[in-house]
Amino acid sequence: MSLPKRIIKETERLVADPAPGIAASPHDDNLRYFDVTIEGPEGSPFERGIFKLELFLPEEYPMAPPKVRFLTKIYHPNIDKLGRICLDILKDKWSPALQIRTVLLSIQALLSAPNPDDPLATDVAKHYKENEKDAQRVSQEWTQKYANLD
Amino acid sequence: MTDTGNSEHPPSGLFFAGSDDEETDVVMDEHEMAASSSRASSPRSSLFLADSDEDDIAFDDLPLTPPVSKKRLVPQQDDSDNDVEIQHLHPPMTRQTSNIKAIHSGEGAPLLLDATIEPTVPPNKKRRLSATHPPSAAFPPTYLGEIMVPNAWSNVSGKGYVKPNDPIQILREEQAQNKPGPSKALGKKKGDNKKQMSLTAMLKVQPAKPLKKKKNDNIVRILNNRGFEFGRLPIEVSWWISKLLDLGIVEFRGVMTDCPDKLSTGASLFVTLHAYILSSAFKPPTINSYSEEPPNYMFNEGIEILDEQTLRERKESLLKLFDVIGLKPQAGANIGGRQAEEKFHEEGLRHLATRKSKKVTEIVGDGEEIEVDDAEDLTENDIDTIYKRAQHNDRTMGVMEPADTFTLTLRGYQKQALLWMYSLESGKTDVRESASMHPLWSQYVFPEKPSLHGEPIDLTADEIPFYMNSYSGEMSLEFPKAERPCRGGILADGNIFINPDELILADYQYSVGMGKTIMLSALIQTSSPYPSDLEAKSSKAPPKPRQLKLGKDLRTNVRRKAIQPPSATLIVAPTSLLSQWSEEIQRSSKLGTVDVLVWHGQNRLDLDAAIDEKDEGEKSIKVVITSYGVLASEHAKWEKSVSTKSAIFEIEWLRVVLDEAHSCKSRTSKTAKAVYALRARRRWAVTGTPIVNKLEDLYSLLKFLNFKPWSDFAFFRSFITLPFLAHDPKAIEIVQVILESVLLRREKNMLDIDGNKIVELPSKEVAIEELEFSPLERKIYDSIYISAKRNFENLNAKGLVSKNYTHILAMLMRLRRAVLHPSLVLTPDDERILSSKNDGVVDISDVLRQFAIDNAQDGYKNKFAEDVLANLADAGVSECPICLDAMEVPMIIPGCMHQCCKDCILAHLSSCEDRGEQPRCPTCSCGPIKQRDLLEVVRRKNGPHVLSSSQELQPNITLRRNDFHSSTKLEALVRDLRQLRDQDPYFRAVVFSQFTGFLDLIQVVLEREYFEHYRFDGSMDIKKKNTAVTEFRSPSTKPKVLIVSLKAGGVGLNLTMANYVFMMDCWWNAATENQAIDRVHRIGQEKTVYVKHFIIAHTVETRILQIQKRKTAIVKEAFRGSGTQGAVTDPESIENLKIMFGDD
Repeated sequence: MSLPKRIIKETERLVADPAPGIAASPHDDNLRYFDVTIEGPEGSPFERGIFKLELFLPEEYPMAPPKVRFLTKIYHPNIDKLGRICLDILKDKWSPALQIRTVLLSIQALLSAPNPDDPLATDVAKHYKENEKDAQRVSQEWTQKYANLD
Repeated sequence: MTDTGNSEHPPSGLFFAGSDDEETDVVMDEHEMAASSSRASSPRSSLFLADSDEDDIAFDDLPLTPPVSKKRLVPQQDDSDNDVEIQHLHPPMTRQTSNIKAIHSGEGAPLLLDATIEPTVPPNKKRRLSATHPPSAAFPPTYLGEIMVPNAWSNVSGKGYVKPNDPIQILREEQAQNKPGPSKALGKKKGDNKKQMSLTAMLKVQPAKPLKKKKNDNIVRILNNRGFEFGRLPIEVSWWISKLLDLGIVEFRGVMTDCPDKLSTGASLFVTLHAYILSSAFKPPTINSYSEEPPNYMFNEGIEILDEQTLRERKESLLKLFDVIGLKPQAGANIGGRQAEEKFHEEGLRHLATRKSKKVTEIVGDGEEIEVDDAEDLTENDIDTIYKRAQHNDRTMGVMEPADTFTLTLRGYQKQALLWMYSLESGKTDVRESASMHPLWSQYVFPEKPSLHGEPIDLTADEIPFYMNSYSGEMSLEFPKAERPCRGGILADGNIFINPDELILADYQYSVGMGKTIMLSALIQTSSPYPSDLEAKSSKAPPKPRQLKLGKDLRTNVRRKAIQPPSATLIVAPTSLLSQWSEEIQRSSKLGTVDVLVWHGQNRLDLDAAIDEKDEGEKSIKVVITSYGVLASEHAKWEKSVSTKSAIFEIEWLRVVLDEAHSCKSRTSKTAKAVYALRARRRWAVTGTPIVNKLEDLYSLLKFLNFKPWSDFAFFRSFITLPFLAHDPKAIEIVQVILESVLLRREKNMLDIDGNKIVELPSKEVAIEELEFSPLERKIYDSIYISAKRNFENLNAKGLVSKNYTHILAMLMRLRRAVLHPSLVLTPDDERILSSKNDGVVDISDVLRQFAIDNAQDGYKNKFAEDVLANLADAGVSECPICLDAMEVPMIIPGCMHQCCKDCILAHLSSCEDRGEQPRCPTCSCGPIKQRDLLEVVRRKNGPHVLSSSQELQPNITLRRNDFHSSTKLEALVRDLRQLRDQDPYFRAVVFSQFTGFLDLIQVVLEREYFEHYRFDGSMDIKKKNTAVTEFRSPSTKPKVLIVSLKAGGVGLNLTMANYVFMMDCWWNAATENQAIDRVHRIGQEKTVYVKHFIIAHTVETRILQIQKRKTAIVKEAFRGSGTQGAVTDPESIENLKIMFGDD
């Protein structure tokens, strides 16, 4: 199956003009499958962390959202321990006008602004709600522990 | 000679009286007796007839009697040499047709060779009578053949009457003569004076004889050479020999082959008869020819008048004679693959036998309905056979250049047609090489006379042919040429029968244009009135005898006062073709040389004035074009009242041309009657189907052409229709010969003299594009299909398929519409079906409603239009946020003015619907948005080098509400048309569909795409149709599209200005589709024709193709509408239905 023009274009642009702190490159054997790294945003508990994600563009893309998952363990109320992400644009708020780049930027933003009111990992969310600082400390620890490539 | 006769009178009379006594003595020396009576009786006969003109002849006969008479007759032998001369002198004698034949040598020296003829003593009366036979042709009695009669019988007893090898006479005897003296007693009673008396009496009553033509007996007597009757022929030969003798057209010279020494009554006699045809046989029979029969012939058809009986007997007897002597025709009506024909006929007739006669209503003329009996229908094979003969010389026919006012170039075969028509009009000889024999005649050859006494046979002698009309019994020595009394003919070019293998409906035939209009236009310009026409023929009576209408006839004369030779041409054509004729004629002629008037509609001009107007001075050729409808109604008015004048029937036209002449094929229709009433010098019937399905179709054309004698219906019926119905293969052959002289018919795929196709058309490229449904269309289609399939399977399981045939067809029809566009199946009916049992139906129903075109919310004012236009103008081509590609067809989302490709946004909307979400703007999530609110940005692509002022004024970007739901097929059409527009900014395309509902949708799409488009369908009146075609044809710098209903494409429609064809759906048989394509792919087409056929994959359409490929007939009833009462039908159709509903 040939790759839609749009995916080719997006890929080209991701490579030629990457968003700051974000890298995405398709697998050679499956151009719909991307290895993604996102740098933890400054000022967040995830700062200096390098998070690995996988991103897959389904057949329906761009009518359907891409499937994205954290491969690096992360302590975040909207990301469960399997790496699944709770983000509206990846679900009902998806729009075909969104792109890989915008999705990844949104995920990066999510790291800066966790939303415990709409949790996926309920225990993490509870922790964030009850004691945000302690929760951020755990997040920092996990970042150190799992997302530190140094 | 007369002197001689007179001077000898008394002695010969005495002598004769004496000889009578001698004759009673049968043992008397026969030879001397014969000689003496010969000498005696001949002069005497002259004497008796001294007051009549014939005595010379009577006398002349004498020398012809063999040399025994040398003593006295030497001087007369000289006369015999002059026979011919003398014979001329007495032509009036023809009227006296003898009833009695004698064995006497006739008026020709050659007969003297017949040494078997002994000096005979023909009784005077006989000789004299024989002399009255018309000698004018200088035609000697000529040997025809020999008949053995083994069972003649004697009616006398005694010795000496006859012995083997004696010549005998074969005679009829007048009843009147025999009455006074019993003829039987003649030979028996010796010394009876009655014989002499009777002879005398006989001679005296002679003048009255011709009156007693009819004899009721058929006794044929055998006389010995002394004139004594001694026997008779048996009834099985005498019945016809007697007729021939009575008619005086054949004489028999006999030889006694075997007989007993002594005769006794009833004794068997073996006689050999030699038949000699007399010159009188080649005279026309006494009664008039058929064409002169009174017109009321039809009313007493059943009664055989005396003359007819005579003729019939003549015919029967002659044929019997020919049969007995084994004389066979060598050419003509009975010749020519008779066996094959008979076989073919047997088949044809078996057909006829099994065919049930039913009344069928046909439409003729302009919608006139007639009832016809279809029992005489012909199969296509019949019709083909009929045409064959008329075509076989056409390849080698010469050509003729048109007049210089003709502006087009004719093709070779068109030039041939011109020559053919021209020569028919000018009455010149046949341009076809072979001269046909008249269809009713057969050619015979006189047989060699058997050499009885060892004379050398003249091997160098030419075979002398003679001819006989085996229908009327007429005979002739001249070659009976097939007559062509009418000036004109039938131009039947261009009807091709598709190879039956390609046919779905077996009897489907279609015609394609070969430029008949152009050929006739060339004729009109080339064949002006001839001098012969200009001569005093103008006073000619109307061709058709009408009821006398004094007032009208007078008026006619007054109106046409100055005997103007007719010069105008009248063309009668179906209403839909009037303007085509007019345009074609004008197109093919230099400006001002042809004056065309379309005489149609409410405000018809005064024809007379129009025709007369320019008679003086100007030399333009006048052509009036009218329709069958107008003609019929004018005729009705004209017939009804004397006071109504109708110039069209009063003008004598130079030429009348009937286009699609089969419109008047029923002779009783009003149209046909009107056509017959036209007065014209030259008549042409133009039709692709001169014989639609029965021989009588042809009659009407022949009647119009005034092609005598076939234009007499009784004649046509008795010689063609009835023989055909009676399994007589002659019928076909007669028709063939008629057609050979009057019909020109070539086919598109015929080859010319060089072996090239006579018509070279540019190639035709047909592509079938298989399209995929959109998911929504698929859903809709599948739901309908599944319910139809279940329905069918239920019926099939119960064996009710044939009973519900029409119902099933209706279901199929819906499927075929669903393939085109879902809205075509959205009717209340459908919803009822959909709402039945199966699951998911309600959903579909909702979907369907969503699909409906919503025109209710009009007047949407787009407040963003200006901004958007400004934006668009600046932005140029922008990128679609969804596909990241340049937007081909941008759509604007009202409210946020974000844009996407049309395809992308529609895909987005439908995927939202699939998920049950409210669709929003993909860019900003504003909304919800509705599909019909979307605004499409339409950019006009101007032609690269054309910027007309009008185009500059138009904004080249406009917006349009997306309130129209397209469909896969429509999109494909639009896509192709757009591509075409890019490649060829002036293209002309024709789009066919069989559903007018779909035509509506196509129109909407074209409208939205700013394609100039025209429509042609059956519901439009003639004016609108004409306008559509004319405007489509008119040159323009813009592309044009004509959408045509498949069925209304109709006859003659010429769309060669287009070379792209789109077939939006498929018809059950490929022939109909091809016919439609041939509107474009026909004479006049100069470019390659591209045909695109849209098919949706995995639908009924693919199965229809399958059926087309099966080359089997799906029942006609099916597609003629629901006329059948459900009682079907052949297994084949059901088989086809199973394919339709089968599993892939």
